[in-house]
Amino acid sequence: MSRKILIIDDDPYIVKYLEDILQDDGFATCTASNVADALELLKKEKPDLITLDLEMPNEWGPRFYRKMIQDPEHNNVPVIVVSGLSGIHLAIKNAVASFKKPFNPKELLEAIHKALDS
Amino acid sequence: MSHLPILLVDDEEGIRTVLAITLEDEGYPVDTASSGNEALALFQAGRHPIVVTDIRMPGMSGVDLLREIKRIEPKTEVIMISGHADIDVAIQSLKHDASDFITKPINMDVFTFALQRAEERSTMRRQLEEHTSNLEALVERKSAQLVEVERRAAARQLFEGLTASLEAFAANLDNMSMFNQMPMFVSIHNRNHEVVAINDHYRQRLGDLVGQKSWSMFDDLLNGERDCPVARTIADKAARRAEHVVRCINGNHHAVAVDTVPITASDDEVELVLEFMVDLREAEQLREELRTTQHKYQQLFDQTPCFISVQNRDFTILSSNARHKDGLGDLEGGLCYERIMHRASPCRDCPLIKTFEDGEMHQMETVITNRKGEQINALIWSAPIRDTSGEITEAIEMITDITQIRKLQDRLTSLGLLLGSTAHGIKGLLTGIDGAIYRLGGGLRNKNDARVEDGFNDLQHLTGRMKQTVLDILYYAKKRELNWKVIDVAAFALNTYTTMSAKAEAKNVLLELDIAKNLGSFKGDASILASALGNILENAIDACNGNEPDAPGNVLFKITGDANQIAFQITDNGAGMDHETRDKLFTLFFSSKGIAGTGIGLFVANEIVQQHGGNITVESEQGHGSTFIVYIPRELSVQV
Repeated sequence: MSRKILIIDDDPYIVKYLEDILQDDGFATCTASNVADALELLKKEKPDLITLDLEMPNEWGPRFYRKMIQDPEHNNVPVIVVSGLSGIHLAIKNAVASFKKPFNPKELLEAIHKALDS
Repeated sequence: MSHLPILLVDDEEGIRTVLAITLEDEGYPVDTASSGNEALALFQAGRHPIVVTDIRMPGMSGVDLLREIKRIEPKTEVIMISGHADIDVAIQSLKHDASDFITKPINMDVFTFALQRAEERSTMRRQLEEHTSNLEALVERKSAQLVEVERRAAARQLFEGLTASLEAFAANLDNMSMFNQMPMFVSIHNRNHEVVAINDHYRQRLGDLVGQKSWSMFDDLLNGERDCPVARTIADKAARRAEHVVRCINGNHHAVAVDTVPITASDDEVELVLEFMVDLREAEQLREELRTTQHKYQQLFDQTPCFISVQNRDFTILSSNARHKDGLGDLEGGLCYERIMHRASPCRDCPLIKTFEDGEMHQMETVITNRKGEQINALIWSAPIRDTSGEITEAIEMITDITQIRKLQDRLTSLGLLLGSTAHGIKGLLTGIDGAIYRLGGGLRNKNDARVEDGFNDLQHLTGRMKQTVLDILYYAKKRELNWKVIDVAAFALNTYTTMSAKAEAKNVLLELDIAKNLGSFKGDASILASALGNILENAIDACNGNEPDAPGNVLFKITGDANQIAFQITDNGAGMDHETRDKLFTLFFSSKGIAGTGIGLFVANEIVQQHGGNITVESEQGHGSTFIVYIPRELSVQV
């Protein structure tokens, strides 16, 4: 069974891009454009890894992360930050990697494989 | 240079730590707090001149904190950090007197610049305050000296009126206490030309001459006793004034003005003589000092680069400096609130009212109109003027013109906002373009036509948006001259329609064109007006994004006209707007599109239409779509 990645981003074009890259590499995907939807999908879809945007309307990425790690069932899902913010590597300390938009898709895939294989 | 202390408030630990470290590297002493309550406690103790706070925090919000801090110390510079979707709150913060706000993502250059400005403002404010208190001290000194001189004059008057009432006094010679306060030599002599009583000042300077002859203190009586003022007063039974030289205990000689008054007994004979002597040199010195002080004060008063006036408790302008007269007109004798503020009653926040109440210095910022009819941003300071009994009788009002500073600040604030918001927008667009190219490339490799087309459409749309964003910024950054030409209405409308139809198609929105017949022409800048209309059309298309499949998006672009103007009507059946959105529509950086909007487009569109002498009307109902009508006059003569 292919592994599933939850894409969290409020920009539909970027969601589409990540879906393309990940599906072409054989991953299953599910997507959310805000923190509330993302938390619901986290429970329902049980993703193996999450790509997380930082800046979104209403609540921003770090809040999703804080809420996620309070849930013992999902608090060890690896998170990769994908954002246009500068200094993003500081926003979520335990993120396995962080990529600044615009990002290199090859490097993103490498980081995902590394996180899932370890 | 050492920096002013900063209190940094953010609930996100990561951001707080990074900012604190960066600021400390720059040399700012930094205290940090993770919540509004913690920040308030620190502020109470430290009174940091600069506070930087995040707007969104659990518990006490940034705006609540701003309000509290401003209540405790209005002079604090508070810089708000706002997220992307916080423009409303940012505007609200400005109303509560936030000094600045910067957007996330925080660009450190923009941030340090905001801090430098806050520091500058804080320092300038302190200097102004010192300046005002120096002035106050000067005014106090001057008043004290005036009072001194007046006291002397009063003593003389007192002395001249004394004769009549002194008969009763003569019975009680020991009572010199009332003279002891006088800054002159007062003595009483009997008809045997002997000193019988002297005041303290006399005793200290000329010695205890009680019992001595009335002429013994003088050094210049050529004819001895016959020239003595007391003796002559007794002989003539009349008051007299003369100038003589007295000898002090320390051996110095002083020229004095001598006034002598006879005190007659009931038998009409002179019983006693009251003698007053004033040191002439001291009086002259005092007059000179007063003149110099007055001169210096006047110079300072006139040359301080502020409008200064002195007002009484009714806010009547008693005097004003040269710049005041030059900038606001000669308003002396008029009421401040009537003549400067054009009001029927004193201003609600008037700092003078507060100064008269508590004797402290106060400030307020407001807008006033100068003599040329220009609006100026004014920082108004007030300080009390007290009389000798400590009563506040008048107040000094100092108005500083800070228009240039405010203009610059507004411009910089909006540029800062613009940079933050567009940099982020462009990064998103670039990533989207990467995605479209990836999709296009994949489609080409796998010969998947649907994917190629999809990627191509995205690419077209995203580059279009990028182009528009850049054009918007350029337009905002630089006011361009309009290129006036005669424009054929129908051709212009068709052109605008064609540019937008691809976008509409890509979004599955039906864009219809309805041009009335014989519309003729108008004068304007075709390319720039087309971009304004394009902006509104694109918004209309975007507004149909959420339409259900059974009610597909529909935008009507309808052009009509009469003899004077052309009306471009754009009607959509999309989401519509609530009242608040409609009110803020044309404000810079307002966007209802979240990440997809920069908040510049409609602001610029409105400016363009206004430059053409036209206007835009908006009707909208939530859930039922919107109608924008852009009216453009046909002729340049009615255009602005």
